[in-house]
Amino acid sequence: MESHMWQNYLKTAARNLVKRKLYTAINISGLAVGIASFILLALYLQNEWTYDKFHEHAAQLYRIRMDYGEKDQPVAHVAMNPSALGPAMKDFPEVKAMTRVYPQGATVKNGDKVMNEKRFIYADAAFFQMFSFPLLSGNAATVLSGPDMVVLTAGMAKKYFGTTDVVGKTIKINNDKDFLITGVAADVPSNTHLKFQFVASYASMGKKDNWNAPNYYTYVQLADNATIPGLHNRIKSLIRDQIGGAAPAGVTFDFVPEPVTGIHLSSIASHSTEAGGDIHYNYILTIVAILLLLIACINFMNLATARSSDRSREIGVRKALGAQRGQLFWQFIAESTLITFAAMVTGIALALILLPAFNNLANTNLEVGRYNGYRLGILLIGIFLCTTFFAATYPALFLSGFRPVQVLKGALNKTTGGGIRKTLVVFQFAASVFFIICTLVVGRQLFYIQHKKLGLDRSQVLVLDGEKLNPKKLEDFKSKLLQQSGVQLVSASYDSPVAVGGGYGLSYVEGKPAGYNMNITAIPVEKDYIKTMGITLASGEDLTGADIQDVLKEDDKRVYHFYLNETAVKHLGWTAETAIGKRLSMNGRTGPVKGVMKDFHFASMKSKIEPIIVFPEYDWFGEILIKTSGNNEQPVIAGVEKIWKDYLPGVPFEYHFLNEEFDGLYKAEYRTSAILSTFSTVIILVSCLGLLGLATFTAQQRTKEIGIRKIMGASVSSVVALLSKDFMKLVILSLCIASPLAWYAMHYWLEGFAYHAVLSIWIFLAAGAIAIFIALLTVSLQSVKAALMNPIKSLRSE
Amino acid sequence: MIQLQKISKHYPVGFGKNDILKDIDLTINEGEFVSIMGPSGSGKSTLLHIMGLLEEPSEGQYLFEGERVDKMNEKKRTQLHRGSIGFVFQAYHLIDELTVYENIETPLLYKNIPSSERKSRVADVLDRFNMVAKKDLFPSQLSGGQQQLVGIARAIIGEPRVILADEPTGNLHSDQAKIIMQLFKHLNEQDKITIIQVTHSDVNATYGNRVIQIRDGHIQP
Repeated sequence: MESHMWQNYLKTAARNLVKRKLYTAINISGLAVGIASFILLALYLQNEWTYDKFHEHAAQLYRIRMDYGEKDQPVAHVAMNPSALGPAMKDFPEVKAMTRVYPQGATVKNGDKVMNEKRFIYADAAFFQMFSFPLLSGNAATVLSGPDMVVLTAGMAKKYFGTTDVVGKTIKINNDKDFLITGVAADVPSNTHLKFQFVASYASMGKKDNWNAPNYYTYVQLADNATIPGLHNRIKSLIRDQIGGAAPAGVTFDFVPEPVTGIHLSSIASHSTEAGGDIHYNYILTIVAILLLLIACINFMNLATARSSDRSREIGVRKALGAQRGQLFWQFIAESTLITFAAMVTGIALALILLPAFNNLANTNLEVGRYNGYRLGILLIGIFLCTTFFAATYPALFLSGFRPVQVLKGALNKTTGGGIRKTLVVFQFAASVFFIICTLVVGRQLFYIQHKKLGLDRSQVLVLDGEKLNPKKLEDFKSKLLQQSGVQLVSASYDSPVAVGGGYGLSYVEGKPAGYNMNITAIPVEKDYIKTMGITLASGEDLTGADIQDVLKEDDKRVYHFYLNETAVKHLGWTAETAIGKRLSMNGRTGPVKGVMKDFHFASMKSKIEPIIVFPEYDWFGEILIKTSGNNEQPVIAGVEKIWKDYLPGVPFEYHFLNEEFDGLYKAEYRTSAILSTFSTVIILVSCLGLLGLATFTAQQRTKEIGIRKIMGASVSSVVALLSKDFMKLVILSLCIASPLAWYAMHYWLEGFAYHAVLSIWIFLAAGAIAIFIALLTVSLQSVKAALMNPIKSLRSE
Repeated sequence: MIQLQKISKHYPVGFGKNDILKDIDLTINEGEFVSIMGPSGSGKSTLLHIMGLLEEPSEGQYLFEGERVDKMNEKKRTQLHRGSIGFVFQAYHLIDELTVYENIETPLLYKNIPSSERKSRVADVLDRFNMVAKKDLFPSQLSGGQQQLVGIARAIIGEPRVILADEPTGNLHSDQAKIIMQLFKHLNEQDKITIIQVTHSDVNATYGNRVIQIRDGHIQP
């Protein structure tokens, strides 16, 4: 193509765009919003899909999962193993390197800066050689080679020292030992399941390896020629050596290597370092991203072809002057390219401006930087080409195909290409309705979760970190707290009441044959736990001071009192009444059943309520639970803080509410819901922009008809109805298409919850009403304008 | 130059058809100035469109300089379009987004004429039509007569051998119409361009040297 041709095309195009400001604005803004959304979602999804793939040895890195299950019971998959496993595997020929990771959290102190750091982990010496977390200073091979060494991230170095030049300095950990800073790591990217801020050498803990407490993560780097089956066989023989023979029939016990790259999206193991992402949500968001871009392109096509009558005269004249179809085709491509380019620039700017807001919404820390810069560049070029291709080709083919004589004769007063345009509008609105329904259903389910009676009362419960408090001092601490006005009840427990994790096993149950085994969840608690959590007893009595004295004795003289939930009682074939007094033995703890609790939710509503045992034990408490009166919280919290400082000087005071822990269980759902509802709104908005554009052109085209009708005596409302009717038909058709699809998708999603809201017809009716209302509003703006026009004016121009 | 043999044109209407032209035999020689006249709906515009290759006849043969047009491929037809035929429309049909200069230049762009030659040819035509001062104006800034002058300038820039004009003065008042018709007469006599115009006006017809009357799709003897 000759260059003067292009000049001419671009000149005409630019003048056309300036002349039709509304059209240009709708086109550019619609596309720009689509592109910006696509970029943001792509960043998010890229983050999700590339989890832990940046490690140089990613393909060789495995985390060991522990599987165990008693006979006839479901197998539990846990990400943690005993500390002795790692050293035992280290010498396998299949293993090149091994590190254990023990996330503990610590109080970090430098001068007068004292803070609790959650992302504090202990790891073996090979950690920085196995994982590609680059060190800004320090040698990866030696930074963790001895006790009391610590590596911190650049961010933390700045926080505590104001500089990253900290190697050789010391920092006090847990108000106890000074650790030598041996290295500074670059801040950890958001696409890894190991988000640390401090890594201390494993040796600093001074713990002996043992096979009893599975509290450690074990990672191995596969040797060059090793295979996973080979490694797994070696592990199996190790287990046989440890147990001293094969496991009893029906009993599962295994250590399984899982690829590190799959941990985020496809691991089945519980108790991971970070809650995994949901691959389904990622699929949904991928669809949302593509749909958004597609819908923006559809707008573009619709507007371009709807304007055909506007452009037809020019096309006819050009053809009469000797233009070939190919030349006109390129002219329209040039015009579209101009728009897509403007939209692209606007879209990128918009995405960059909105990135912090998006991070806030999605609870992520995405950035354009070292891990994704060039990929993003390629993506942007791809978006530009695709958008231009999709959005420009059809209108260009369509417009350049006009027959000049029809055009010049005025036969093309009516817009053609209506069929395809209608199909596209239906598609757009079907997508909008689909996402309206999804947003409503997800919102409804989250509402359901929030308001469902849990069987325990999580409201107004202040949670303090119990780890630092010696359980022996708890009684004293508690009585002080109870003197504080606003504090109603105080108790403590091993872990979160709304997410109990402890896996125990019953090895003796009165009335069951010898050798009976049952896996069960259990939680050690303080005396007033049942009262504080508002758990209802179906039978039996609450714990008394005497019961507590029974568990404070020497290990072999202890007597435990157990509280079973109704599900556990049913499982054991008892009733609430007959259960009382039955003797149990659970992981070496023996004693009678003292009460039966009405079922309550102690895990996510995705799973059914399972058997659970609540029992008093004063060895270790993770959480101190303070039930407050709920009004005037600040002075209560201040009072609690004062008492804390008396008991635990030097330990920073931190608190949160039990409600937050509960909401944390549904983090993925809240996040997806927030993203979904935001982008559904964007989809609807962009669709409406398209509809607005179409309505504008329809109204313009029918100016003469409207004029004549008005002279004949048509009322404004009848003209509005006339113009809106056609669009309404399309919207209703999209409703019919979208509803079954949305029903199917949401039905599937809700199935993922053991307890879920009903998928009621009202949601579909509401979605329909919203869609119709929005469409009507959009269309009628133009219709009313057209209907109010002075008919003489419109006819005079003819 | 133009030979129409048994040309018919009809459109399907419902199950039947609507005849526009029936068995038209017509020969127009090089250098003629022909006026096609007839009442509304008689088919005169359709006849002009067929001669201008904007429309295809349903039946019959069309020979342009002895060559069968209906046998030509798309490319050759476009060549003919660009090289030999110029159009003037009742509603001027200038491109609103282009200036006077650019409108006149457009046919040359489609003929791939080099930039320097384009410049000199457009300059010549502007000069000849006394429009140099108006070359950077847009059509909406001109009067109807001036717009039609641009339309004619655009039609002759490609140096066609025939100009087809569809009621060229239909939208103009009589003073302007007179100027346009004199221009056509001049082009016919001085530049030897064959001119075929459709017109309602007996006055306009007098500028030409032959009148063809059409009624109900037939040429009146």
